[in-house]
Amino acid sequence: MKQKLLILTCCVLGVLSLGAKKQGVIKIGCVGPITGDQASLGLDQLHALQIAVDEANAQGEIIPGHRLEIVSLDDQHNPSQAVAMAKRLASDPQVVAVVGHVNSSCSLAAAPIYQNARLTQISPSSSNPEISRKGYDTFFRTCATDDIQAPQAAYFAFTRLEARKVFIIDDKTTYGKGIADEFEQEILRLGAGVLGHEGIMQADKDFSPLLTKIKALEPDLIFFGGMYPEGALLVRQAKALGFNVKWMGGDGIYVKAFIDLAKEDAEGVYCTFIGADVSSMAGAKHYIETYTTRFGQERGPYSAYAYDAANIIIDATRKTGKLDRQAILAQVKATKDFPGIVGVTNFDAKGDSTIGLIGVFRVKNQAFEYVGSAK
Amino acid sequence: MNKRAITAYQKKGKFSRWAMSAVVLLILVVLPFFNHNEYHLEVLVSAGIFAILVLGLNVMTGYCGLLNLGQAAFFASGAYTYALLNVKLGLSFWVSLPACVISSAALGLLFGSCVLRLKGDYLALVTLGFGEIIRITLNNMDSLTGGPNGLTVSHPLIGFADKSFDFGIKSMPYYYLTLLAIIVIVIITNRLASSRFGRAWVAIKEDEVAAACMGINTGKLKLLAFCVGSAIAGFAGWLFAGKQGFVSPDSFDFITSIMLVAMLVLGGIGSIAGSIVGAVALTLLPEILRPLQEYRMFLFGAVMMVMMLFRPQGILGGVRILEEFRPENERVRQEEDEVLGEGLKQ
Amino acid sequence: MNPFETFIQQLINGLTIGMIYALIALGYTMVYGIIQLINFAHGEIFITGAFFALAVFGLFPHTPQFNSVLALVLAFGAAMAGCGFLGVVIERIAYRPLRKAPRLACLITAIGVSFILQNVLMLIWGPVDKSFPAFFKHSALTFGSLRVTFMQGFIIITSLVMMIALRFFVTRTMLGKALRAASADMTAARLMGINVDKVISICFLIGSALGGAGGVMYGMYYNTISFHDGYLVGIKAFTAAVLGGIGNVPGAMLGGIALGMLEGLGAGYLSSAWKNVFAFLILVILLLCWPSGILRKSRNE
Repeated sequence: MKQKLLILTCCVLGVLSLGAKKQGVIKIGCVGPITGDQASLGLDQLHALQIAVDEANAQGEIIPGHRLEIVSLDDQHNPSQAVAMAKRLASDPQVVAVVGHVNSSCSLAAAPIYQNARLTQISPSSSNPEISRKGYDTFFRTCATDDIQAPQAAYFAFTRLEARKVFIIDDKTTYGKGIADEFEQEILRLGAGVLGHEGIMQADKDFSPLLTKIKALEPDLIFFGGMYPEGALLVRQAKALGFNVKWMGGDGIYVKAFIDLAKEDAEGVYCTFIGADVSSMAGAKHYIETYTTRFGQERGPYSAYAYDAANIIIDATRKTGKLDRQAILAQVKATKDFPGIVGVTNFDAKGDSTIGLIGVFRVKNQAFEYVGSAK
Repeated sequence: MNKRAITAYQKKGKFSRWAMSAVVLLILVVLPFFNHNEYHLEVLVSAGIFAILVLGLNVMTGYCGLLNLGQAAFFASGAYTYALLNVKLGLSFWVSLPACVISSAALGLLFGSCVLRLKGDYLALVTLGFGEIIRITLNNMDSLTGGPNGLTVSHPLIGFADKSFDFGIKSMPYYYLTLLAIIVIVIITNRLASSRFGRAWVAIKEDEVAAACMGINTGKLKLLAFCVGSAIAGFAGWLFAGKQGFVSPDSFDFITSIMLVAMLVLGGIGSIAGSIVGAVALTLLPEILRPLQEYRMFLFGAVMMVMMLFRPQGILGGVRILEEFRPENERVRQEEDEVLGEGLKQ
Repeated sequence: MNPFETFIQQLINGLTIGMIYALIALGYTMVYGIIQLINFAHGEIFITGAFFALAVFGLFPHTPQFNSVLALVLAFGAAMAGCGFLGVVIERIAYRPLRKAPRLACLITAIGVSFILQNVLMLIWGPVDKSFPAFFKHSALTFGSLRVTFMQGFIIITSLVMMIALRFFVTRTMLGKALRAASADMTAARLMGINVDKVISICFLIGSALGGAGGVMYGMYYNTISFHDGYLVGIKAFTAAVLGGIGNVPGAMLGGIALGMLEGLGAGYLSSAWKNVFAFLILVILLLCWPSGILRKSRNE
């Protein structure tokens, strides 16, 4: 009966405590979805961190007698999992900082845990503005936020694409709904008409009922706030309905996989990105080459931001010279003109990066072509 | 075995059961003093909350034979009731408890009174649909529930005069709170099982028509079982929301409901100890398998399947039936299982 | 596009996905009809079919027309044969030993199997959505502003053919008769000299093969597949089976079509964020009003 419970418990605790404590290790947490449908984003962040950590270790010990190590955890882009994983990192005294989470919803849920544990968290991709407005002093991000991205996207759609009748779709996630709401506000302010704003379910596949309805409304632009799997399906199903309309999306569809899934139907789709075209930046050249040769694949959209986030942490740890979360946090907070590969990073009082550059891309010949800055 | 032997057996069984429970309890109480690891405690707290949910499910499915594939909906109702009371009205964790239990019981009553005339798989399917409806509703009612962003709620706080103790994000206080909660629920469900209601439920499970002929008001009693089960789930939801400090709809998806049924069946349907063992085993298993990374859910499925093939009545299945009803275990248990199968089939 | 045309377009969209639901629902209903088991792994078998087809397409650089037709035939063949075999194996390993055990035990092994299948797919093909080759390039028949794409036509016709073939098999052949006999009363069928184990295996074979075919069409229609697609579509197909009266073959077909259309209309006219709620709400309401499905089981005659 309960004996088995007892034995089980003992066994489990035994096994769990085998996660042996080695001497002389400083750990950086890396949390994101590394299984499931958004695994590519999480793995991309992990790869960036691996490059940064290996480079740092190759340069010698970070703190005398200590080597850097990565603790990679999977939050399955589920906020509850994110909380559990955050507690796990918080309870490991060797973890000094965290790169992640990838998804805004997860960062939002996990931030209070890090705050309480005095653990520095730098997200390369959680762009929802709410997170930093909550006043967590441990939260930082290297990407721009959606309250910069979406209004600029709306400005671009209004002035350059001359969108006057817009339909807005979002995927009902923290990120997707956030960006779609901001877009709607701004484009209304600019004077365009919004024909409707509807949500879809993530992991649903059939959007033709919604698209049939939108087709009858004859909009000249559809804005989609969401991730690439649904984005690709939307674009394809619209074409199948004989519905030719301009599409625009946020950084959630600025992923190579979007083009792989939507194929020729992706042509002409616009998207904004929370940063400029990394591949054209001189400083990023070495990083991009390293990434491609080491992992045999093209880097994802946020990997450069994750790389910078990791380097800010490593730099702060090196300057601090000891395994002390509070000191490292203070050091990160004091970051001044950090020369990263995406630009010179500073954090404002809320922890947001001050770079704030929004680039616009368009799919041409099955690749993202840089159109220019949104403003 | 004659009657006296049975009584002796039961007495002996009772004593060893008490002794065993006391030992297990003692170990669980002192455990945190030897293991300070937050993560380990956190996993145990989750296991404990699942155990409470499974105990609730056991009342519906184990005692009364009502297969519920939407237990997560009642779990969600408890959690969101606390979250909303806390966020909108500023009520504290402890004050919200009755509301959480009552709201879930009311939801169970409302839903149960509509669907309980369905039987077996049809009932299972309707509860499944209901679970999904609740989850999607929570996800879509942005203005009230915060939609996918969820709601951030306060952790429990105990205050005596000018001193106060915040449970915060440490796992230890929740560990003891959960332990206490499990003890309470175990006592309640245990008393219920041997009460007039409990015996009526089992009679309904065995043969509803016969039970009705014996003068049992089957409709009311089924509804009662459903309400008790959902109230317990609401209680677990309250605990979960307080512990997590955050609620969002993805904690209450279909997979959660399915896992609860799996825990119950794996542990042994109708058995209190079995419910707890099942919940603990299926919560710990994926965590133990975590080092295997992407292979872990695969192995998890395999363990579930193999376990059932070798012990279809569950780890601790048949104990209650053996002790309370008929002594000649093997044959009777088989018969019992067939009856259970037949009953659910109808 | 006038409102009437929009309505018809919605119905066509709904019919297409409804046909896929119907094909999958057949697998649930056949298995349930004979051994009263909710084969939870069926949704996973269905999506495995799509992955089998993907593997076949991987062998063909499908630029020339001939290759693409051949590839299509081979893909359907591989998916149906593969899934049929998979279904039989699963029944043999996971369900048959438990035929005398409590039925909930079977439910748990079914869930276990579905975890296993889902994760095997993930381990082999990776966690990211896979692109599925496109056919017919969005070409369509147009009637005014109404469009029926060739793909939709292909799905509707192919599924219809398969369902008619199944109906013929069940009503006109000896094996079909044995199948019906076993589902009416297994013990009596056994006394009549019917090899019930064989009949159950055949039931799994056919149901899974149809599910596999549904998987290929699903892949062709949406052009992306992922390892976790099986669960949601599986549940909806199961809903369709119950809608039509579980254990009832024509009922499953009707249930699938009805579910697809109702869902499409709900998403199109009310709100797409509530799409899955419609599916489940329909289920709850229908079960309350007609507890044995649209078509009553003819089994009690």
